[in-house]
Amino acid sequence: MDAFLAFFTIFTHLELLLLVGLGTFAGVYVGAIPGLSVTMAVSILISFTFSWDVLPAISLMIGIYMGGVYGGSRTAILLNIPGAPSAIATALDGYPMAQRGEAGEAIGTTTVMSFFGGLIGIGVLALLAPFVSDFALKFQPRDYMLLAVLGILLVGSLSSGSLIKGIFAGAFGIAIGAVGMDPLTFTERFTFDIPLMRGGINFIAVMIGMFGVSEALMQLHHVNKDAVRQQINRIVPSFGTIKKYLPLSLQTSSLGVIIGALPGTGGDIAALMAYDHAKRVTKNPERPFGEGAMEGLVAPETANNAAVGGAFIPMMTLGIPGDAVTAIMIGALFIHGLNPGPMLMIEKPDMFWFIVGALVCANFFMLLFGLTGIKLFTKIVEMPRAVLIPLILLLSIVGAYAVNNSITDVYWMLGFGVIGYMMRHYGYPLGPVILGVILSRLLDDNWRRAIISEREDLGRFFHGIFTSPLSLVLFMAVVLIFVSQTPLWTKFRKKESS
Amino acid sequence: MKKFVIGAVSALSLMTSAAIAQDYPTKEIQGIIQWGAGGSTDTVMRAVTPHAEDVLGGTVVMQNMTGGVGAIALNHVANEDADGYKLLMGAENPLLYKVMGLGDKDYSDFVPINILARGTAILVANNDAPFDDYAGMMAYIAENPGELRIGSTGPGGLPSVVTAMIETVEGELDVISIPYDGDGPALTALQGGAIDVMPAVLGASIEAIKAGNMKPLAIMDTTANEYLPGVPAVTDFNEGFATYLPWGPFFGVFVKQGTDEAIVSKLQGAYAEAATNQDFVDLMASRGFTLMNISGDEAQSFLTKWQQGTSWLLQDAGLTKASPEEFGIARPGE
Repeated sequence: MDAFLAFFTIFTHLELLLLVGLGTFAGVYVGAIPGLSVTMAVSILISFTFSWDVLPAISLMIGIYMGGVYGGSRTAILLNIPGAPSAIATALDGYPMAQRGEAGEAIGTTTVMSFFGGLIGIGVLALLAPFVSDFALKFQPRDYMLLAVLGILLVGSLSSGSLIKGIFAGAFGIAIGAVGMDPLTFTERFTFDIPLMRGGINFIAVMIGMFGVSEALMQLHHVNKDAVRQQINRIVPSFGTIKKYLPLSLQTSSLGVIIGALPGTGGDIAALMAYDHAKRVTKNPERPFGEGAMEGLVAPETANNAAVGGAFIPMMTLGIPGDAVTAIMIGALFIHGLNPGPMLMIEKPDMFWFIVGALVCANFFMLLFGLTGIKLFTKIVEMPRAVLIPLILLLSIVGAYAVNNSITDVYWMLGFGVIGYMMRHYGYPLGPVILGVILSRLLDDNWRRAIISEREDLGRFFHGIFTSPLSLVLFMAVVLIFVSQTPLWTKFRKKESS
Repeated sequence: MKKFVIGAVSALSLMTSAAIAQDYPTKEIQGIIQWGAGGSTDTVMRAVTPHAEDVLGGTVVMQNMTGGVGAIALNHVANEDADGYKLLMGAENPLLYKVMGLGDKDYSDFVPINILARGTAILVANNDAPFDDYAGMMAYIAENPGELRIGSTGPGGLPSVVTAMIETVEGELDVISIPYDGDGPALTALQGGAIDVMPAVLGASIEAIKAGNMKPLAIMDTTANEYLPGVPAVTDFNEGFATYLPWGPFFGVFVKQGTDEAIVSKLQGAYAEAATNQDFVDLMASRGFTLMNISGDEAQSFLTKWQQGTSWLLQDAGLTKASPEEFGIARPGE
């Protein structure tokens, strides 16, 4: 009980409260700039906060994390350039809304629903952490592989128009993800004996190029057209609107927590899966998906914010990072003399409750900063294109350089910008490329682990799937989703309904 | 006259060199960390460097540069000027680059500033594994060939060296080796039952062992470890391991070969003092690392011995891409 009181520490210490606020504020803006990632910000903070006490240091990091995950949606909605991989799905329906002059409404609803998703994630962390981490540990390589296959099937949802073009884009992404030295065997793949290629192609550079540069090039086509005027009177969504999306948000938030808690998958995959889920369960959206459906905005945003709480679950209960940011935080706790691991919850339960409190606090700050800066932000889209386009290019270059302080990444980024521009021109969707890059390693590594552990015997592999309840559920989901996308099924459904 | 000119010039160069060292550092020093933020190397470097900064009276800006098993960072520093403003903060991996075909440079292109600490390897098993110690594991492998799943982190990683050591001492092992990205993900998989046994560094597994989430089989050392009393050393089961032990990964700070000697000794002094700082000593203890704090010839001979022993172990296990002989790495004892 005494430990639980640590939950309130953050609210009773002005200094800590201010640090969380400052962190969240900075996070929203860091997250909004493509290339400046939360992971990077938190790793810089490690050396910056080295001499601080542990509580202020953690407060600042948690603020940045929460704000940063949310911030990625800003530029996705306004400029069609996701600030972070977890905001890719947000751009699909957010940007069409901004094109209709509804950026204010889109951002307002996103903020409130992100807040809601964040709370669900924190709630699960506070109440169910040990159960969720036990469940997450049950995932075998085979299950991760099935999860990745489920993810690959999202290509269908992410490609409006031609499915063949979507599959091509997805395969292209998987190939990009395979470049470099294979970390499992140290075999070089697609490196052409160039030492620089060994490290692989930085996935953030691909994302910035594909979305940022190609968007700037597309805008050049209508550089003289007037920008869309934005209505900003309706920012905070009405209670009715929130209530309407509540059931969907609960589902996508739960999805977000679990994907976030799995070591090896994070908010980016959670958001894409949530988008796909929304598309599946929403029978009659007010507008079709891809043209500004609110559901397409709510689903990924609730999921990626819920994934934050999820990522803390294995970190707090087992000392295992749920994603890249919590991995760095574990390092920070070590430096500050704590031993993150399974004993932390037992020996220092007050640390657990302090972190839960800081997360709640950061979530409220996110709501505050999210709803107040909108007018200023929407002005960005109302800027003349002649100013906006160079600005996007500049940000893209800075962002790509910042990933590794390497000029090579800038060249990659520019190259993929041109490829992205060509793809858009010929109607190839960009979402599946990024999906492919994200899932490439997850699929490849876990397939190999799964088949190696069955002594490369397919019979044993399938026997494993059918004897593990978890694998079986995932396998059935893969089969169902696949079948439901074939023409045969559509015919069958039509017959049934007539 | 000629002699005088040469003498004057060399005196002048000595003077300027001394002056450079006197002023050093006049600008920011950059520390390039070979591994990602939050990992072991990162934690060690970020913990010791601020204390070295205090002694140096300058700033060291640290940056993580990952990729190519650390080769990208090593080549980056090797391509910069040898002016003492770029430090390489790395682990043991570069000593195996040549034999593993990962690059043509290693620590022989650098001067060690300080070998800070070394880790100890330990064999851990999933709680449900049907054996409780090293002898039990060997018996299980003999009775169930091809069934035991051992985690690895790719050729040249700590698990591959430990496995090679066991095979050299005990003979061929009929087990399944499952590769992971690092010991973190592999230890997670161990707790979930995807693998049965994992050779890991003590610091990465110590908390989970204390909590009873995995069981220790043997410490890969000649004596039991002070941080985990009660876990037997592997030499208690088989004396044959004594030839190769103690062995372990290590962390060190380096500058490029050719850096002014006065600057090198200034950096050596700073890091030697920093490594005695109580906070740093405590951190090393809590992570199960053995403090070394050696430099100069002592560090050089440590590196040579490590490279010879490990390269030939991997060579004999058939894991190398090129023979150590090609690079003039002598077999230990020759």
